[in-house]
Amino acid sequence: MISVRGVRKAFGTATVLDGIDLDVHSGEVVSILGSSGSGKSTLIRCMNGLEKLDGGRITIDDFDVSRPKELAEARKRSATVFQLFNLYPHMTAVQNIALAPVEVLKIPRKQAEADARALLDSVGLSARADAFPAQLSGGQRQRVGICRALAMKPRYLLLDEITSALDPEMTSDVLAILAKLARDGTTMVFVTHEIEFARTISSRIVFLDKGQLVVDLPTAEFFAADGGMAKPRIAQFLSKMRKD
Amino acid sequence: MRYTAFTSYDIVLLAQGLGVSLALFLATTIIGLLLGSLWAIIRFYRVPVLMQIVTVFAELLKNSPVLVQLFLVFFGLPAFARLNVTPVEAAVITLSGNTAAFVYVIAVSAIESIGRDQIEAARVSGLSRWQVLRHIIAPQAMAFAIGPLTGLLVNQLQVTSLISVIGVVDLTKIGNILNLRTLKPFIVWAIVGGLYYVMAKLVAFGGATLEKRLRAHTAWKGL
Ligand SMILES: Nc1ncnc2c1ncn2[C@@H]1O[C@H](COP(=O)(O)OP(=O)(O)OP(=O)(O)O)[C@@H](O)[C@H]1O
Ligand SMILES: [Mg+2]
Repeated sequence: MISVRGVRKAFGTATVLDGIDLDVHSGEVVSILGSSGSGKSTLIRCMNGLEKLDGGRITIDDFDVSRPKELAEARKRSATVFQLFNLYPHMTAVQNIALAPVEVLKIPRKQAEADARALLDSVGLSARADAFPAQLSGGQRQRVGICRALAMKPRYLLLDEITSALDPEMTSDVLAILAKLARDGTTMVFVTHEIEFARTISSRIVFLDKGQLVVDLPTAEFFAADGGMAKPRIAQFLSKMRKD
Repeated sequence: MRYTAFTSYDIVLLAQGLGVSLALFLATTIIGLLLGSLWAIIRFYRVPVLMQIVTVFAELLKNSPVLVQLFLVFFGLPAFARLNVTPVEAAVITLSGNTAAFVYVIAVSAIESIGRDQIEAARVSGLSRWQVLRHIIAPQAMAFAIGPLTGLLVNQLQVTSLISVIGVVDLTKIGNILNLRTLKPFIVWAIVGGLYYVMAKLVAFGGATLEKRLRAHTAWKGL
């Protein structure tokens, strides 16, 4: 389980996360909604150890991400997919995916590359396995990004607006993959602006506002007429989102 | 009577001088590349204290004439620290340091050209700093740096000729010796210059070949 307790994070004098508590259990898909600048990316970056906490504690299967020795274990259990893909431009799709399995999990290169090809095949990219990122479309790059995360066989998948750099058609390709992962029981923390999609795959929805978690509800309750949606702040957010 | 004709032994002399120049160039290039890259890595990882020392040292080396540095090492060190420095040692120390300072500058900008976000992705996937350096930073920095490095080395090859002034018998010194004996400066210096030219072209060719190989994988089609 991922446990976030009283997490605070500030950049200079600006408090970006202001006492966040959140639990993500195995098999759950937790979607994080919130307006731009509310701290969603920062929360993900705290979970994977890219940002230092200014207070509180985050553990992944009881490994504390703030302790350098435990961070390595925490990172083996989770994997991140990024908004702008963050692929390694000097490596082919297969090499991008196989790097960490070979270096971190010590899987023999041959096998890691065979696994990478199988993953690419599962997202419809077997023909592009030996292409470099610059030769792929945005949607293809993000599918490689997802494969790269999955290759580590993570227990938890952290996804930060992974479709917001894609056009609608590419977005639906990528979301279809996530829907399948959700059906297979993959645990996910899913930052998104795709509200309707979040509704279909999430077990819980949390809403972040100015660095605070103002709502944390099962999906059905969140979207119930008298549930989370009824809160003025969220109603305002949702109506704005639906207009966009 | 003075014997001013060229003899076949002069070819041996030239070959010896060429060998000394090449050996010095290769040795100081290898040391300079290692040292300059190490300094750049120290700076990239912001190693406290060492980073400040490296910055100051590189600044000093970049902004003073190599000939002055050479005199400082060859005449200054023995006077200051009672160290005996042979001409070859002084040449190796000075030229290596000088090459390192410029390699440092090139390596720093090469490393900075690599997107921070890739490095974050690699760290998050569990790679150690060393693994990130080896698999993400080094290959891309090398592809980026190879052009400027080739230019630098072609230049450093010419700079080796300065060491003849402290008595290292390199190609330029041999030129001097032959010139004094034969009194045919035009022929002697044309031959010596031609030899430097060929060496420089070989360095440039080697650099260009390596660059093609290193950049093949980025496969940037068109522009
Ligand atoms: N490295 C940083 N230095 C300074 N301020 C930062 C840094 N990273 C984020 N911030 C600030 O923290 C706040 C939260 O940023 P964050 O990226 O977490 O928002 P977000 O909810 O992900 O927004 P979006 O939906 O636009 O991606 C913003 O005001 C942002 O300007
Ligand atoms: Mg964000």
